[in-house]
Amino acid sequence: MNTKNIDEIIALSEELRWEIGDDFHDNLAESIYADASKIVEDTVIKDNKKSNFRLDAKIDKIVTSRIWGFPIMLFILGAVLWLTIIGANYPSSMLATILLDNIHPFLKSTGTNLGFPWWLNGFLFDGVYLAVAWVIAVMLPPMAIFFPLFTLLEDFGYLPRVAFNMDNLFKKSGAHGKQALTMSMGFGCNAAGVVATRIIDSPRERLIAIITNNFSLCNGRWPTQILLATIFIGAVVPESYSSLASLLAVIGIAILGIAFMFFFSWALSKTVLKGEVSTFNLELPPYRPPVFWKTIYTSLIDRTMIVLWRAIVFAAPAGAVIWLISNITIGDLSLASWAINYLDGFGFLLGLNGVILLAYVVAIPANEIVIPTILMLTVMVTGIAGGVGNGVMFELDSVTATADILKAGGWTLLTAINVMLFSLLHNPCSTTIYTIYKETNSVKWTVVASILPVIAGFIVTFLVAQIWRIFI
Amino acid sequence: MENKTKSACETCAHFNADGLKKLGVKTDDFDFVVALAGNPNTGKSTVFNALTGLRQHTGNWPGKTVTRAEGGFEYNEQKYKLVDLPGTYSLLSTSEDEEVARDFILFGKPSVTIIVVDASRLERNLNLVLQILEITNNAVLCLNLIDEAERNHIEIDTRILAKDLGIPVVPTSARFQRGIPELIQTVSDLANGKITCKPRRIKNIPKNIEKSVKELSDTIEKQYPNISNSRWIAFRLLEGDTQIIEALKTGKIATNEY
Amino acid sequence: MNYTPITSLAIFFGICILLFFVFRPKKGIYFFLKSMYHQKDKTIIEDILKYLYHNQTSNNSISTIDLTNTLNFPNTIIIESLKKMMDNELIILEHDSYKLTSNGNEYALQIIRAHRLWEKYLSEKTGFHKTEWHERAERKEHELSPTDINNLSSLLGNPKFDPHGDPIPTKKGKIVSKRGVHLSSVKENTVAKIIHIEDEPDIIYKQILAENIHLYSIVRVVENNSTRVVFHSEGEQFVLAPIVAGNITVSVLEKSDLEEDNIARLSSLKMGETAKIIGLSKESRGESRRRLLDLGFVRGATVGIDLLNPLGDPKAYLIKGTAIALRKDQAAKILINKISHGK
Repeated sequence: MNTKNIDEIIALSEELRWEIGDDFHDNLAESIYADASKIVEDTVIKDNKKSNFRLDAKIDKIVTSRIWGFPIMLFILGAVLWLTIIGANYPSSMLATILLDNIHPFLKSTGTNLGFPWWLNGFLFDGVYLAVAWVIAVMLPPMAIFFPLFTLLEDFGYLPRVAFNMDNLFKKSGAHGKQALTMSMGFGCNAAGVVATRIIDSPRERLIAIITNNFSLCNGRWPTQILLATIFIGAVVPESYSSLASLLAVIGIAILGIAFMFFFSWALSKTVLKGEVSTFNLELPPYRPPVFWKTIYTSLIDRTMIVLWRAIVFAAPAGAVIWLISNITIGDLSLASWAINYLDGFGFLLGLNGVILLAYVVAIPANEIVIPTILMLTVMVTGIAGGVGNGVMFELDSVTATADILKAGGWTLLTAINVMLFSLLHNPCSTTIYTIYKETNSVKWTVVASILPVIAGFIVTFLVAQIWRIFI
Repeated sequence: MENKTKSACETCAHFNADGLKKLGVKTDDFDFVVALAGNPNTGKSTVFNALTGLRQHTGNWPGKTVTRAEGGFEYNEQKYKLVDLPGTYSLLSTSEDEEVARDFILFGKPSVTIIVVDASRLERNLNLVLQILEITNNAVLCLNLIDEAERNHIEIDTRILAKDLGIPVVPTSARFQRGIPELIQTVSDLANGKITCKPRRIKNIPKNIEKSVKELSDTIEKQYPNISNSRWIAFRLLEGDTQIIEALKTGKIATNEY
Repeated sequence: MNYTPITSLAIFFGICILLFFVFRPKKGIYFFLKSMYHQKDKTIIEDILKYLYHNQTSNNSISTIDLTNTLNFPNTIIIESLKKMMDNELIILEHDSYKLTSNGNEYALQIIRAHRLWEKYLSEKTGFHKTEWHERAERKEHELSPTDINNLSSLLGNPKFDPHGDPIPTKKGKIVSKRGVHLSSVKENTVAKIIHIEDEPDIIYKQILAENIHLYSIVRVVENNSTRVVFHSEGEQFVLAPIVAGNITVSVLEKSDLEEDNIARLSSLKMGETAKIIGLSKESRGESRRRLLDLGFVRGATVGIDLLNPLGDPKAYLIKGTAIALRKDQAAKILINKISHGK
């Protein structure tokens, strides 16, 4: 086919376009729909008398009503989170017992018996295995509860109603109502939340939802918040109120995250993202009873396993790195100690310390291993009793014992508050970063999404630290 | 109208249950490619799962499948590769999902396209159906969620619908496996040329526009005598679709002669 | 220096203030330097040409002082540019006022073409708000080469009008002349169609936008005096100051030209009412417009309200058997004819 003919076709089309004007799309769309209604007239018989009663309409009236709309929503979200956090405790500790207390020593002794040198044994089992096991133990149970619950709501058709109810709030910050859902999904796992932004079909609002998803406190961070709130915040109030105070502190952090999400959504839509195309439409599909077991099965396969697999892939090298930096020495100090000394000054400025910053650097792959890494590094640096050895992450069953180690590491109430804040406001885990890259296909937005929360974290913890030191 | 509209029972007798094998994701060598298109939230992914035996997650939520999923099944010793396209309302806009869906039907040369529609909201769904019928000749309408339509007292005369659209129509309820054998049989008949379609083209277009479309599509046909969707290409050119212009220039459309 | 919380806070705020001055929107040092860099001869010459062109069409004579007073460039550079332009036969000086030569006229039209095409591009293919189109096009018009301009035009389907209703000159420099009168000058009880909304000065333009007045909508003037202009359009009432109304151009319609009476915006529909869609307002553009059409908001479709929102917005409309939620600003761009009133 020669190009001359093709150019002819294109030239003709240009000319014709000039003639028919810019209403072509409108006319075509109208014609198609006119055809469609003609066909429907011929073929569809609808018995209007009988279909007047719609259960759908009744449910919709309630879930979007002025009085019940928001309480129902908050109740459901609260219930899902509560079930996840409480329900995950037992299987989590069971998995921890099996993977950490039984299999880990077994692997190590097997290694020794097979005549592995100490460094290979340490690298493989204290480093790689332990990190992977930890991620599975902490991550799997909450996700295996959260995702199926969320998926059931989704299959039923309730979630679009939530987006509908919430849209006005999100519109004010330049975002889409569906972001309410991707945000809630982020409470389970940010990587899954980022994938869920596919439901937002407007380019600008989708990018906003992706970049701000990290402000949802994910499953990997809830335990950190709860632990620190219990140890430090619970201790400042009279004992009878301590559990209430720590609960409120954790909820406060989650709400602060939502506030940051709104703020950054607004700021992004007014600055870097204002040139992206923005459209809005939201279909409210009819309710459908979910096929219960199938839903549970598919959500486990589709969401839980995929996210878990990605986390494991990233956790394994992190475990290796943690073990290596604690065991490779330069001069008379390990790499980790050097790094900690180096980071201590900056850490102090933020009301944190070098150990915490280093833990956040090496634990980029998974927020779940931050606390074990902090404990291990603290023991290593302070030289106090406890712990299992350099590079071997651990966690203690007793909250008081954990508190003792942290306090020996120089932790104060300020440190705890700032770690809670920093745990909320820092870069997304590497699984999420990778997912953001896959979803946006853009290095630029991946970098923005990764850097933005850390900068916010630095500024907030810095300000809190200075003001705290001035007044307290 | 050359195609014979099959009633459900007629196909039942033809259906060879022993000849069906769900192949899951194993789609290495295959005899036919089948595309699965449809509006969001019509149970398209459920149809996909029912055909392939896979368990892709399907949400009651528009716009779940963004990238295309692939699966396969074997029927009467012929292998079919099934491609689940993103759910879209139309193929006329420029969103990412629509491009994926449109490009596949236009350039991916599927032997058969299954168009899944929600039986209780037929009018809305026909918008996409009529557009797809401009692009491809070999299609079957899968009238899904028929159980819901029945519950809402909506009756559809599938014979007239098939006659109007010029393609076979199969009522299904994929969630309960209703109508799936009939669908497979119809796909097989279409792929093997036992049924030929005469798809409806969009009518009711204002005269001045129709004239321009005709002029342009005639010119296209003169250049590419074997092309079956010259009218659709004319539509796109009149809308200034730069991708179609590009495809013309690179010859991607010219090789698309089926 | 020893650490104290106060000094570190002071340093922090110092850096913040510094960054603010450097990157302050539009007025920051960064933007100042950037605009200095872009302030080439070409820009000045083209701005002068444009200014002369606009004044020539309204028969104003322009002297050097007018130019130095209006254009935002150093006087010496303006005078230098004027000289250069005379050397190149773009302009001539007649009785102390500058006139465009035919070359100059052609050049000016190409700049205007670039400007209006870019505004059209911004309105159709990007998400920038309409208050920003003009300013962005002011910068972009100097950067586009003739090939760019032609490619842009064919990408957009060779549009004839920009999003403000101004005609776009063709490649060959032809421009449709547009007749119309200022809204402030029409008599009471006149029916007219808005054909142009002037985007300069910015303050008045923003005021018009804030009123939600839509281009190409039909208006019926009910009151027009020295204090205010009141008119009805698409079922809503608008009140404007005469100076604001002066920036809206309308073409007066004969009563027989009216195709549809009783037009309202979908946003005014109440629960229980049903309506027939007449069409989409021209204010709905680009991807949003196509989306609405794809969803079935086409002429002749029946629409009603399915669900109200606890916060008032968006509302869910029942269209072609499906509940679709639209925000108020979108619903305002869908024109309807109410056919039945609820109880």
